[in-house]
Amino acid sequence: MNSPEIMQEDFSVHYTYTRSTGPVIGDFLTALRDKKQILGIKGSDGRTLVPPMEFDPITTEPLSEMVDVSDQGTVTSFCWVKNPIKHHHIQHPFAFATIRLDGADTDFIHMVDCGDEARISVGSRVKARWADERSGTMTDIVAFDVTGA
Amino acid sequence: MSRLAAVVGIGQTEYRSARKDVSMGGLVNEAARRALEDAGLGWDDIDAVVIGKAPDMFEGVLMPELYLADALGAVGKPMLRVHTAGSVGGSTAVVAATHVTSGTFDRILTVTFEKQSESNAMWALSIPRPFSMHLNAGAGGHFAPHIREYMRRSGAPAHVGPMVAVKDRKNALKNPLAHLQIPDISLEMVMESPMLWDPIRFLESCPSSDGACALVISSEELATKGPNKPAWIRGMAMRSETMTCKGRDEVNPLAGSECAKDVYAQAGIGNPRKEVDMAEVYVPFSWYEPMWLENLGFADEGEGWKLTEAGETEIGGSIPFNCSGGVLSTNAIGASGMIRFAESAMQVRGTAGEHQVEGAKMAVGHAYGASAQFFAMWAVSSEKP
Repeated sequence: MNSPEIMQEDFSVHYTYTRSTGPVIGDFLTALRDKKQILGIKGSDGRTLVPPMEFDPITTEPLSEMVDVSDQGTVTSFCWVKNPIKHHHIQHPFAFATIRLDGADTDFIHMVDCGDEARISVGSRVKARWADERSGTMTDIVAFDVTGA
Repeated sequence: MSRLAAVVGIGQTEYRSARKDVSMGGLVNEAARRALEDAGLGWDDIDAVVIGKAPDMFEGVLMPELYLADALGAVGKPMLRVHTAGSVGGSTAVVAATHVTSGTFDRILTVTFEKQSESNAMWALSIPRPFSMHLNAGAGGHFAPHIREYMRRSGAPAHVGPMVAVKDRKNALKNPLAHLQIPDISLEMVMESPMLWDPIRFLESCPSSDGACALVISSEELATKGPNKPAWIRGMAMRSETMTCKGRDEVNPLAGSECAKDVYAQAGIGNPRKEVDMAEVYVPFSWYEPMWLENLGFADEGEGWKLTEAGETEIGGSIPFNCSGGVLSTNAIGASGMIRFAESAMQVRGTAGEHQVEGAKMAVGHAYGASAQFFAMWAVSSEKP
């Protein structure tokens, strides 16, 4: 007796989450896309918070005073990724770094693409490398390049 | 309960299919701000924050409580997240209130939310996970056999489910916050709507909503200092049972009836049918009204559908169920249980507006979750014990 034909099909479950970014993060992402501009926001204590926060961490009041900050800054700390895995955006060795952008009072986390661990240190000057096609996401900044020691 | 506690502030957002104008932080902040305003308090008056929502897969933000701390004034304060699937809104209220009755804190802000527009709950419930039973067709597909079994056991006629669907949507028309507003709802419309999971039709199912609900819960000493009347918490309980175990009755779960009995005992309620003025009960699919009427002790087993059919669960009936429109009219999953708890408190405070049950003194809020296996319930009263 022949065994019955078994119907089979590959099936992988996936789903795209969406995000409603709200007024503050929405403005931040829109400025990345449309103006290659990084925005911060003034907190109640006068600090410029980057990326901007929707609610003040001290008073919980909604924040609204957006501030342009530079796309250049100084590395305050970093972690060298020697063996990137397939989910990393950069497929050769790079650094995840906290960067104090000029004009900001808080650190911003992004990737520094400098090829060699010896080329980055705390205090290195870096500049954003912008994507040619931008979509209003953090990867509109491809990475930061080291511009000086 | 060791100390008395009361609900002194209630805040809800409008419930809609999509609140694209706000982030998750903006959504929970809106509800929390309204609860604080109702309580006449500021962020600094709050000792700790207790937050709840459905499983993280529902929006794909892992541990959202961490990033929501800023939006809820929780920076530098104790913050706790509660996880009990669909019953989480109720469990979160119970956990928050317990932090007051235990004497640990004097004033708690508790907030629950869901932003279903950012994902798809049906999908999140249907993905296979290792070592877990696979829920193939989301919540409706899972509960349909339980409902069929209820109909078989009780002999309830087929129109009882649709009657609940009509009654709750009519109640929603009296609640401006409710998501579904269907002015021409009728039995015919419900019975002609597509069959999704036999016997559950489209209009016998809950919608998919965005929204948040918040409560401020105070100790006895502070409860009467606010501008508005407190709702005194007279009894509260949580019970759970495993999804599959020998002898488990999915139609009339032991954990649900034990939870209710515990609440009634604490509140001194001997006959819930007579002594409870209204109930906000978790009814995401129409037939859960008669099922929970029985499980919560408002009717004998097999008799719940008769109360629904006789109109006893309408506003003006002897035991109004879901005057707000219930989960059938608004399902912001994580918040849905807390909305029941909040609406029961609104009724005994006399602030339910058009859907107020006149003279309500004792009300019950209830939530269930997962495979009808997690239960949370409280009884609130206008009267201090």
